[in-house]
Amino acid sequence: MKDLKHLIYFENLLQEANNELVQKARADGKYALGYTCYFMPEVLLDLPGCFSVRLRAPRCTSPDIATYYMSARVCHYGRSLFERALEGGYNFMDAQMATETCTVTCRFQEHLQQKKLDSVADMKVIQNDNFFCEFIDVPFKKTENSYLHYKEQLKYHVLDKLHEHFGIDVSDEAVMKAIEQHNEVCRLINEIGDYRKLDNPTITGYEFHVIQLVSEVCPKELILPYLRETAEEMKTREPDDRWPFRCKVVLAGSENDDPDFTKLIESCGAEVVADRYCYGAVESRIPITVKEGQEPLDAIARHYLDTSNCPRFMPQDVMRERKQRLAKLVKDYKADGLIVASNKFCEYWSYERVIDTVVMKRDFGIPVCSIEKEYINSASGQLRTRFQAFVESVEIKKIQEGK
Amino acid sequence: MAKKKVDIKKLARDFWLGKPHGERRLGELYEDKTGLYKHREWRGVKDTMYYFYMIWLYNYIFMVRDIMKMGGPINFAKGVWRYRWVGQTYLPVLHWFDRGMEGMRGEALRASSWHYRGMVNETIRQFQRMFAADTKLHGGKKNDLWYHTMAHNETVWGGIFYPWSDHFDNVAMEMIPYFVTCHVNSHTVHNYIDAIQSIGLPGDPCPMCQAESGLFVQDDMPDYAPFMITSNEACDASVATSILQDWFYDKPLFAMPQPMQFDDPLVHKHCRREIEECWKFIEEQTGVPFNWDQLVKKLRQQNELQEFEREKWEVAAKTPYYPINGVAQALYRIYYSQDGDRDIWHFCDKKVRKILEKCVSKKINTFPKTRHRVIAWSCAPLYYSHWCTWAYNCWGLNVIINMDSLMFDMSIRTDTYDHCLDDMATYHMWAPMRRMAVGGMHHIFELWEYMEKFNCDFVMMYDQLQCKGMQGVHGLFEDEFRSRNIPAIWMPHALPDSRTVSRAEIRRIVNDYMTTVMHEEPLDPSLLDFDDSMGW
Amino acid sequence: MKKRKSCKCTLGHKLGRLALKLLGLVLLANAALFAVFFFDLDGKLLFNVVEPLLKKHYDNMDRKDTLKAPYDMDKYPSYEYEV
Repeated sequence: MKDLKHLIYFENLLQEANNELVQKARADGKYALGYTCYFMPEVLLDLPGCFSVRLRAPRCTSPDIATYYMSARVCHYGRSLFERALEGGYNFMDAQMATETCTVTCRFQEHLQQKKLDSVADMKVIQNDNFFCEFIDVPFKKTENSYLHYKEQLKYHVLDKLHEHFGIDVSDEAVMKAIEQHNEVCRLINEIGDYRKLDNPTITGYEFHVIQLVSEVCPKELILPYLRETAEEMKTREPDDRWPFRCKVVLAGSENDDPDFTKLIESCGAEVVADRYCYGAVESRIPITVKEGQEPLDAIARHYLDTSNCPRFMPQDVMRERKQRLAKLVKDYKADGLIVASNKFCEYWSYERVIDTVVMKRDFGIPVCSIEKEYINSASGQLRTRFQAFVESVEIKKIQEGK
Repeated sequence: MAKKKVDIKKLARDFWLGKPHGERRLGELYEDKTGLYKHREWRGVKDTMYYFYMIWLYNYIFMVRDIMKMGGPINFAKGVWRYRWVGQTYLPVLHWFDRGMEGMRGEALRASSWHYRGMVNETIRQFQRMFAADTKLHGGKKNDLWYHTMAHNETVWGGIFYPWSDHFDNVAMEMIPYFVTCHVNSHTVHNYIDAIQSIGLPGDPCPMCQAESGLFVQDDMPDYAPFMITSNEACDASVATSILQDWFYDKPLFAMPQPMQFDDPLVHKHCRREIEECWKFIEEQTGVPFNWDQLVKKLRQQNELQEFEREKWEVAAKTPYYPINGVAQALYRIYYSQDGDRDIWHFCDKKVRKILEKCVSKKINTFPKTRHRVIAWSCAPLYYSHWCTWAYNCWGLNVIINMDSLMFDMSIRTDTYDHCLDDMATYHMWAPMRRMAVGGMHHIFELWEYMEKFNCDFVMMYDQLQCKGMQGVHGLFEDEFRSRNIPAIWMPHALPDSRTVSRAEIRRIVNDYMTTVMHEEPLDPSLLDFDDSMGW
Repeated sequence: MKKRKSCKCTLGHKLGRLALKLLGLVLLANAALFAVFFFDLDGKLLFNVVEPLLKKHYDNMDRKDTLKAPYDMDKYPSYEYEV
């Protein structure tokens, strides 16, 4: 396939959190708001006057100081973010909008926070005098009680704080404007991503991963023109004569902001056609629907709880339903198998991976490759062997089924 | 060769009063590796007889009596034959007493052992209720007790079920099969940890949650109730554990997660509603309405327990007359605070009160060889909860208080429904390990405040290697210890799993610190190094 | 036939001897129990005999293959209530 026009530019944007577009937006007087988790609604951080940056720590292989503070026994992602923060890589941030949704990212964010307590000295990690870190409490259920609680949290800890600190307009009109912009990003990403549903997809999993990531780490307003252009380009992009892969897979699991991981899977012959993991597009690029007469914030609160497939949700029906959602994803994207990957030390996904490995295969007939990985995958040789073996097993299954 | 002179007077004194601390050489009582005793300690006539009659014999007799009274011997025998966690654990209970009471004398021995007695009784009640109701022990039949028992995570506070306590009983799923077993016989739990890892769970999540899931993988969880209630406490792994519990138990499940940001005043409304929804679920499942009067009655009784706890703390904080050793204090406190109000706690508290009052009025220095008053912080090693006893005997490190005990420090108002619910929500949000270990920074570092309050000069900092919450603040504690110039020992462990850091390794770390940093000599050198690797 | 000598013991004597016997038995039982206690014979029996037997039993028990447990997707409703 012909190279995408902006792919290299996009790849470069992913090399640093404080990338070219972030710098430009800040130079334009906008406030940069960091976040880590899907449960901090990106759309609210993209209100006029500010922009969201989902934090990554690319190329962080040795988080030494963070390891002193958090030990080597917590997830590499959390430690890498902290290391990058300690290195000054996030000094551009004006605020960190935090969630206590998994323990280690919570601890990372608590280190950034100025707690002003007598009992523990604050670390001045972010060298920005106006910086603040605000936490929200995120419910574990999708009930009415949860929606109301979540909405209240968003109102008090996000909207009110943004208005208080930066004078951001948080009116319904402003929120609607942010939703419109957000939905355009979603529409474009979905349009580009839908080419993965073709028999011979005209976009690889790696390319899509890069595009999805730039949409999360760059100011929306500035990345949108590139996305629009890429979506246009995709309309005429011709596939290779011969599909270069041996099977298609859905990649599910915990935090993954490393396109090289997707590239590794694809280099073993499995095309990644759907990305159901933290930082993936499956949930985050579903457009937000605001019903007539509905308060935009209410729509946002319901949207983020409803769309999430996070293993953090505890109700029995939700735990079981998310297996169905995953199976449907495999079917919709015509995938031949499922790779479930959890980051080492991620407790939610360690358990979810166990049940997915058994139930998806047993009850839905979907071949599953279950792996544990690091944030930055230095052990790619071992993973390559696992993926190659999986691809072979999927191929054998296809031959046996006469496909 | 000169004949060794026998000091008859001293022999007689040692026989009558027991050897003084420093001459006991308790380490020489152990058989190599097993932790069994060549012979049990001679504590002088009075204390040995007390131990023999009022602890050893009394508890054996009452263990039998409890079995007969609660569920009967047939259910017990069936349970022992069916479930590893009870068979392997119930029998060495008196050794658990031995380990906790080593070297104790006088009032300290008496008060501490009453705490143990309370825990044994309540443990029997719980497993006998499980067995009496268990369909697996009754040919798949759901008997009346099955319909009248409620199952829940051990991190769901028993107080949630008070409104139905006049007709129903609640039993935590993991409290006995997992939590208690680790203390009594540390071997048992290894089977469950291995079981969950054998189906693909990596070894790094919290081993407590691993063991809790492993019970289900091994089909070692009695089927004793029609439904279950789960909680997110204390951590991510607890949340995730319910994924597997739901699968393997396959019963109506009500998830009652609690807000994480419990200091935020906004979360209370949400938390209260979760509790109320849980009550609606119980009403729906049992067909029995919520009973406010019963709730109030039980909460008031629980408040009495809390009030006495504060009185005990007052004595512990301000005097050397506190007669409860570190392990008895810690286990008893967390057990009843989480389990909820039961008659046995009041019975034991009454006994302990008498002893406490005697100690105060007669100014009895209960731990006379105390060199350092220790506060133990974070989550303790379950397989070596009796390290406190060893540390006192060997080094004079007297554990006055610990983090787990302090988490539940509140009385619950019962004057109005609103106040009551508000306090219950707080209690639940603070519940085990949430307030200080896995909870927010504001409370984890209350350590200094409590150190001062309890007049402690030394910190035993538990380092649960697989607790992400505490690992995540490791460096901040290091920094604070240094800047405040506080002696602190990091005690690495893996909660229930004695294979990760052995008891001997823990002792070595303490020994090293005490000799190289504190430059102190052991009180009993025979306890410095011994092999109890196969011990319960 | 010789006449059997009739016992001249009074009831008090009999009871006294019985009490002495009982006391002896109690003391004997006490001494035995104390020996069990002091020499940790209970612990030794449990550690060396009972636990290994039980372990063997538990290790060889037939256990349900829990991985075959059903996982019905629509079996349970959403438990949500008006409060």
